[in-house]
Amino acid sequence: MFIILIISAPLITALLSLLIRSRFLVFEILTILSAAIELASAILIVPRVISNGSYSIGSYFSIDALGAILMLIISVIGLAASLYSIGYIRREVAKQIIGFHRVKQYYIFLNFFILAMFSAVFTTSPIIMWIGIEATTLSTAFLISFYNKPSATEAAWKYLIVNSVGLLLGFLGIMLFQTAAIGTPGISNWHFILANASSLNPFIAKIAFIFILIGYGTKVGLAPMHTWLPDAHSKAPVPISSLLSGVLLNVAFLAILRFKAVTDAAVGQAFSQNLLIFFGIISISLAAFIIFAQKNYKRLLAYSSIEHMGIISLGFGFGGIGVFAGLLHMIYHSLAKSILFLASGSIFLKYSSTKIINAKGVLSVLPISGIIFLIGFLAITGVPPFGTFLTEFYILSAGMIQHPVITIVALLALIVAFVGFLKNTHSMIFGEAPETISKGEANKWVVVPPLCLVAILLVLSFYLPQFVKLLINSAALIY
Amino acid sequence: MTPTLSQILFITNTLSFATIIFMHLAKKNSQLVSLYAGQSILTVALLYFSSPDGLPYYLALTLLITLIVKVLAAPYFFMKFIKKSQMKFASNVYLNTPLTLMAIAALIVIAFSQFKPLTAAAPGNENSLLLSIAIIFISFLLIINRKGALSQIFGVLSLENGIVSFAALAGLEETFSLRIGIIFDISVWIIIATIFVSMIHKQFGSLDVTTMKHLKD
Repeated sequence: MFIILIISAPLITALLSLLIRSRFLVFEILTILSAAIELASAILIVPRVISNGSYSIGSYFSIDALGAILMLIISVIGLAASLYSIGYIRREVAKQIIGFHRVKQYYIFLNFFILAMFSAVFTTSPIIMWIGIEATTLSTAFLISFYNKPSATEAAWKYLIVNSVGLLLGFLGIMLFQTAAIGTPGISNWHFILANASSLNPFIAKIAFIFILIGYGTKVGLAPMHTWLPDAHSKAPVPISSLLSGVLLNVAFLAILRFKAVTDAAVGQAFSQNLLIFFGIISISLAAFIIFAQKNYKRLLAYSSIEHMGIISLGFGFGGIGVFAGLLHMIYHSLAKSILFLASGSIFLKYSSTKIINAKGVLSVLPISGIIFLIGFLAITGVPPFGTFLTEFYILSAGMIQHPVITIVALLALIVAFVGFLKNTHSMIFGEAPETISKGEANKWVVVPPLCLVAILLVLSFYLPQFVKLLINSAALIY
Repeated sequence: MTPTLSQILFITNTLSFATIIFMHLAKKNSQLVSLYAGQSILTVALLYFSSPDGLPYYLALTLLITLIVKVLAAPYFFMKFIKKSQMKFASNVYLNTPLTLMAIAALIVIAFSQFKPLTAAAPGNENSLLLSIAIIFISFLLIINRKGALSQIFGVLSLENGIVSFAALAGLEETFSLRIGIIFDISVWIIIATIFVSMIHKQFGSLDVTTMKHLKD
C-alpha cells in the first residue's frame, strides 16, 4: 500500500503536470504534495521493515533495511529539494532566464527522476533496478541541459554517453550474474540469484562484478570513471544538483552493494573488498588534489562527492566496523552535501556566478545562507562534532590493521581535501563583498529547506535514533 | 542444441560482428545508420533462432517491437536528421584506419583468449559467445575512437546489440514485461540522444565533440 503510494505520487504528479498550461502554482503544489506523501509513507514503512526484516508488495517490490535507509534519504532530500525548487525557479523566472515551458519541463522531469530512484530501490529484480537507474540518466539529462547553454549541453551529452556506456557494461555484469539462474525463465530476483550464488562459476562471478563495479561505479562517480560528474553536477539547477550528489550516487552504490553480496557468496569477500579499496583510494586521492586547486564552488562540491563516495567505498572495502560507518556516512554525506548545494544555490542567485573569486563576502551578503554553507563545510570535511568525523574515524580505524599504507594515504588525502575546502570556503565566506551586490536572502523558500536539513544533520550527529541504528546494523550484517 | 542451429547462430553473429567492423570503416553517417539497421536485423534473427521454445506469442511480440524500434524507427529518425542537418560525413577519428584495425585485432585476441571461461554458461555456443564479447569491445572502441556525436550514439547502440546477442546465446531468458521494459528504455534513450544531437548541432554548428570545450577545471 505505502510502496504504491510512494511510486504513484511522483508518477501522477508528472502526468498531471503534462496537462497544465498556464499556472506555475499548480506545479509547485503538486510537487510539494507528492514529496510530502512520499516522506509520510516512508516514515510509515520504516517500523514495518524493522519488525519484519522487510516490507514487500507482491514479488516485485520489497524494502529491506538498506532499502529503507535509501528510501528515507530520497524522501527527506526529495522534499527539501522540492521546497527549495519553488524559491529557486520563481527567482529564475523573475530574472526572465526561464519561461513557462522550462518550468513545466523542470517539474515533470524532477518527479520522473524521484520516481526512477524509488523504483530502483524498491524493486526485487536487478534488471528493473538497472532500468530504474538508466531512467534516472534519461530524466536528468534534460535537467542538466536546463539552461540551454553550450556548456550545459556539453555537460549533459557527456553525462548521457558516459553513463549509458557505464550502465551497459553494468547490464553485461547483470547478464553474467544471471547465468546462476539459467533455465529458470522470469526468475531474476535478488533472493534467487543470491541463493544460487554458490553455483556460479567463480571466474564468471569475478568478471561480472568487475563489470558491475565499472558500470554502476560510473554512476556513483568513482574515479577514474567520474569524468561526467563535476560537469553534470555543476551545470544542473541547484535542487537537482543536491539530488544528484546527495541521493542518486547512493542509489547507484546500492546496486554495487547488492551485487557485492552475490559476489561474496560466490568467491568470498576478499575479491570485492580489494576492488572497492582500489577504487575508493583512487577517488579520494584524485578528488582531494582537485578540490585544493578548484576555482568553481559548484565543481568543488561535485569533487567532494567523488571524495565521499571513495570514503564510503573504502568503508565497505575495509569491512568490519567500516561497513557500519560506511552506511552511516552515506546518510551524513547526503544531508551535508544537499545543505551545501542548496546554500550554493542562494549564493548563485545573488552573485550570478559560480566562480569562487566572484563570490566573496557571502556571510555579510547572505547571513543565513552563509552560516548554512559554513556548517555544511564543517560537516562535509569531517570536523567534530559532526557525525562525519566519527564515521571517517571508524572507517580509517577499520583499515589501519590490515591496510595501513592505504589508510595513511587516505588520511593524507582527507587532510589535503580539508585544507583545499578551507582555503576556498574562507575566501568565499569571509572575503570582502563586491559593492554592487545587494544584501539579503532571495526568499524564504531558499532558506528554510537547507535550515531543516541542518537541524536533522545536527540531531543525527549528537543522537542516533534507535530506528536508524537498527536499520544500519541490520544492513551491515549483509554487506 | 543441434549442430545446424549452432552453426546458424554462429553465422548470424559473424555477420553482426562484420557490421561493427564496417561501422569503424564507414565514412558517411548514412552508412552508419544502414549498418546499425543491418546489425539490429541480425540481432532480432539471433533472438529468434536462440529461442528454445519456437516462437511463443510474447516472443513474437517482443521481436516485432524490437524490429520496429531498432530497424525502422531509429534509422528513420537518424536519416531524417542527417538530411535536415546536411551532416553527410562522419567526423574524424583519433586513430587512423590501420591503427584502428590493429586495435580491433587486439580486442578480438583479448576477447577470444581471456574471456573463454565466460562461455561456460553455454558450451555449445562457445565461439558465438566470444564473438559477442568481441562485438561489445569493438563497439566500445567505436565510441572512444570517433569524434562525431552520431558515431558515438551508434557505438552505444551497437554495444547494446552485442549484450543482447550475448544474453540470447547464453540462454538467459527474461519475462515478457522485462523485455518490453528494456526495449522501452532503449527507445527513450534513442529519442533523447537524437534530441541532444540536434542541440549539439544547433549550438556548436558541428557534431564533432572535440568542439565542446566549455568545461574545464
